[in-house]
Amino acid sequence: MSSSILIARNLSKVVPGTESDLTILDDVSFTLEKGASLAIVGSSGSGKSTLLGLLAGLDIATRGEVELAGQNLGTLDEDGRARVRAQHVGFVFQSFQLLESLNALENVMLPLELHGRDDARARATELLERVGLGHRLKHYPRLLSGGEQQRVAIARAFAAEPDILFADEPTGNLDTQTGQHVTDLLFAMNLERGTTLVLVTHDGRLAARCKQSIQLETGRMVELGTHE
Amino acid sequence: MSRLSYQRLAKLSFSYTLREARAGEVKTLFFAVLIAVLVSTAIGYFGARLNASMELRATEFLGADLVLRGSAPAQPAQIELGRAQGLSHSSVVEFSSVVATDERIQLAAIKAVDNAYPLRGELRSTASLNGLDQAGGVPGPGEAWAEARLLAALALEVGAEIEIGAQRFRLTRILTEEPDRGRDLYSLNPHVIINLMDLESTAVVQPGSRVRYRDLWRGDASSLNAYRAQATPDLRANQRLEDVRDGNRQLGGALGRAERYLNLASLAAVLLAGIATALSASRFASRRLDNSALLRCLGLSRRETALFYAAQLVTIGALASVLGALLGWLGQHALFALLKGLVPNDVPSGGLLPALTGMATGLVALIGFALPPLVALCRVPPLRVLRRDVLPTPPGLLFVYGVALLALGLIMWRLSLDIQLTVSLLGAGALAALSLGVVLLIALRTLRKALTNGPLAWRLGVGQLLRKPGLAIGQILAFGLIFLAMALVGLLRGELLQTWQAQLPENAPNHFVINVMPHERDAFTSEVHRLSPSASPLYPVVAGRLTAINGKPARANLEDDSQGERATRRDLNLTWSETLPPDNQLVAGSWWSSDQGNGVSVEENLAASLRLEIGDRITFDIGGATYEVPVTSIRTVEWNNFQPNFFMIFKPGTLQDVPVTYMTSFYLPSSDESGALALVKQFPTVSILPVEALLDQLREILAQVTLAIEFVLLFVLAAGLSVLFAALQATIDERLHQDALLRALGARKQLLITARRSEFLVVGAISGLLAALGCELATYFLYRHTFGLEWSPHPWLWLLPIVSALIIGGAGLVGTRKALTTSPLTVLRET
Repeated sequence: MSSSILIARNLSKVVPGTESDLTILDDVSFTLEKGASLAIVGSSGSGKSTLLGLLAGLDIATRGEVELAGQNLGTLDEDGRARVRAQHVGFVFQSFQLLESLNALENVMLPLELHGRDDARARATELLERVGLGHRLKHYPRLLSGGEQQRVAIARAFAAEPDILFADEPTGNLDTQTGQHVTDLLFAMNLERGTTLVLVTHDGRLAARCKQSIQLETGRMVELGTHE
Repeated sequence: MSRLSYQRLAKLSFSYTLREARAGEVKTLFFAVLIAVLVSTAIGYFGARLNASMELRATEFLGADLVLRGSAPAQPAQIELGRAQGLSHSSVVEFSSVVATDERIQLAAIKAVDNAYPLRGELRSTASLNGLDQAGGVPGPGEAWAEARLLAALALEVGAEIEIGAQRFRLTRILTEEPDRGRDLYSLNPHVIINLMDLESTAVVQPGSRVRYRDLWRGDASSLNAYRAQATPDLRANQRLEDVRDGNRQLGGALGRAERYLNLASLAAVLLAGIATALSASRFASRRLDNSALLRCLGLSRRETALFYAAQLVTIGALASVLGALLGWLGQHALFALLKGLVPNDVPSGGLLPALTGMATGLVALIGFALPPLVALCRVPPLRVLRRDVLPTPPGLLFVYGVALLALGLIMWRLSLDIQLTVSLLGAGALAALSLGVVLLIALRTLRKALTNGPLAWRLGVGQLLRKPGLAIGQILAFGLIFLAMALVGLLRGELLQTWQAQLPENAPNHFVINVMPHERDAFTSEVHRLSPSASPLYPVVAGRLTAINGKPARANLEDDSQGERATRRDLNLTWSETLPPDNQLVAGSWWSSDQGNGVSVEENLAASLRLEIGDRITFDIGGATYEVPVTSIRTVEWNNFQPNFFMIFKPGTLQDVPVTYMTSFYLPSSDESGALALVKQFPTVSILPVEALLDQLREILAQVTLAIEFVLLFVLAAGLSVLFAALQATIDERLHQDALLRALGARKQLLITARRSEFLVVGAISGLLAALGCELATYFLYRHTFGLEWSPHPWLWLLPIVSALIIGGAGLVGTRKALTTSPLTVLRET
């Protein structure tokens, strides 16, 4: 059995423009092993988030294919891709994406309940304690600081024990110090749970903590590096 | 990992709904449905209970709930059918016969009744002319009860013997009130009641005699309906089933209008709640676009997301419906408690039906108005978690409006507005909304050009509308509909009350006079006018039979048992008059001029049933002489006014040398009853029929209807105002966001207030204008086709634009004050 969890083959994304078609991602290929970490870096508009969307099965490529956890996403319909996400994928977003009407505990319970887990409450409490928010279980997102909201989001991302975690600019909305704490937490939990991590960032220090990195420029992959 | 079962997903959705109950949009949606159900249930109960109570009183006019009427005895199977339904039964046989004493004879209306008679109302009688009357009982075998005027006509006293046919009877009591007398207000002969067991021995009823058989039924509504449904297909040509509406014109009209008004008011209330549901459902959906994308991201399929949100809506709808129905039920109870003393104590409970239909109405409104936003919600691409600008493909317009129209149509149909009316109202409404939308779009575009160099506050305020004209038009139409619904219900209330007051003024005639002989005419006229200056003129009355139309037998080509066919089987009361009676109106032909020959004016419905047109020649047999006369006009008659009314009015001079008596009606205060007695003594052959009891019954019923209508109007106005605020709330998010942004950029409060004021004033004024226009159109249609009222323009409606501009302007400013009082950062983070 292959040890690769994510394979991208000649990925391209073209969207219709006002005058002619616009290529926002052009011929990107790489392979990621289980438990590895990959940073996708590049300036604004370089196609980072587009690539992340394609890799996570949130969007479909115009050309090329993505194989996630052994499944070729291009051959699946949206519901099929949703199943793959449900079984293998966790997310952390720049804007946290917490449900405003649910408190911290309920937000973390959400994916567990969607998976039909009976121990959702206990497991979510445990995870929130792990991210240092055991005393904030009943707090609503608007009463939490940005750093705290992102820690709730990280707890939620790990709740369903995903094989691979996609993080889109996880520190983009946080100050340097808070961002540092959140990054530490993300990597620590990644290590503890043996999760594969793919993150999009333009923070060089964050990228340097990943074992691999991809540099994008105007949709093209200009560098595929490895770090020790 | 196993997938979620649908059951588990629904359960999860339920628990999330409860967790999200704090969210503003969930509350708004909940309250919109709650109001829809509360108002429908309360009006439903109020209307149904009051209606049942009114009908209960009204059935007394009929002596029963339902009557099977025929010119031959009912079939045993027809009677068995009613008994099988558990209905109480009573038989009545009516015919005209001569009542004879040893010296004199008098034609009388005989009614043979069984011991169960009457099933509704009371038969009242007295033992002596000046004695107190009592309720109850029927004549025993060998006994007859007669009206006082029979005693006067035959110079009899109680205890005397009379003959009807081959049977002798002892006059044991004097009849003072018969419950089913209302329909025979115009009958000329004195009434006599005997026991049904004596009928055969009179030998009066022979094959071919003119006899009316009435089988009276009483029971609960469902059994009556079942009986009606089963019996109707097997009715013979000479049989009819009648309830109180068919049996009494005055009441039928009032009850029918009241019921239609209550239905229209419920419809207005449901429409209001529907608008609130649509707006809050749309807000519910737009605030969940991110959440929906997140759920998809977390692995829910489109179908599962749809189920998740549908279950949320069903949860909200079900909870709001149950609570709304409960509150509606409690509300109408509180109302009846408040009205204690004004309404009868024995108001029927109303059953479960109004609550169930109230809940169904709320749920149908929810599905109809919330389904389109829900569909949009399920189409959110998961990519939205990364790119907020990604929006779901909106469902087709046909789907959005089709579903809403279908829901509205279902509700309207449920409220018994018939299918043709439902379709035409919906069609006209959709067409009007479409054309108004286009006009508004053009107007807004013109406004945009005009404002290019206008003040900043106006550009900001009205610009808000111009940026998304589709949304602005939707809002204006919604507000317009809210004002339209309220104005319509208010307007109709006024008209109906006015009509009823006009129908039954304080001094409505309460005495009918018949049998005034020609030689008594002048003396009687002056005496009556002395007692009652407002008495109607004396109309000549001649009994005549319609025998031919255009030379052919009158009955040929007429539908069996139609009004026209029945009119050919009995003598009609004919009259002549120089002038058109005050409450009559010509609909065809012209009133006679002096140089014109003979002619007759025919009542509109009878003319239609007889298929008469202007110029047709109709033949009457009057006392053996034949008169052929052309139809010169067709006119409407106000049957509800308690004045002498006639199907046929001849040109004076057309009928020559015919036996004539005169009739009139007049008002006498009940304190002046001695005046009527004096009149009876002075003119012993004249029959004076007091109808005060009938009028009192009618007044009591109309007072209840009025009460119902007043309270229903209050319900609708309260619902309208709360919906207005809910609707404003639902459209306010974006305005809050923009205001916060402007404040962050340094705009002063005054600028924002002026901008908001300009925007809401424009929205309010245009909505009011639409409401005024719509209201005039709708009343024009409804007055003519549903309520049978005269329509004329309502100038005060044109105050609506000002009123609505003030209300929406004020409410809008209050609603958006948060943007002025809270820090811009807080608002920006929250919206």
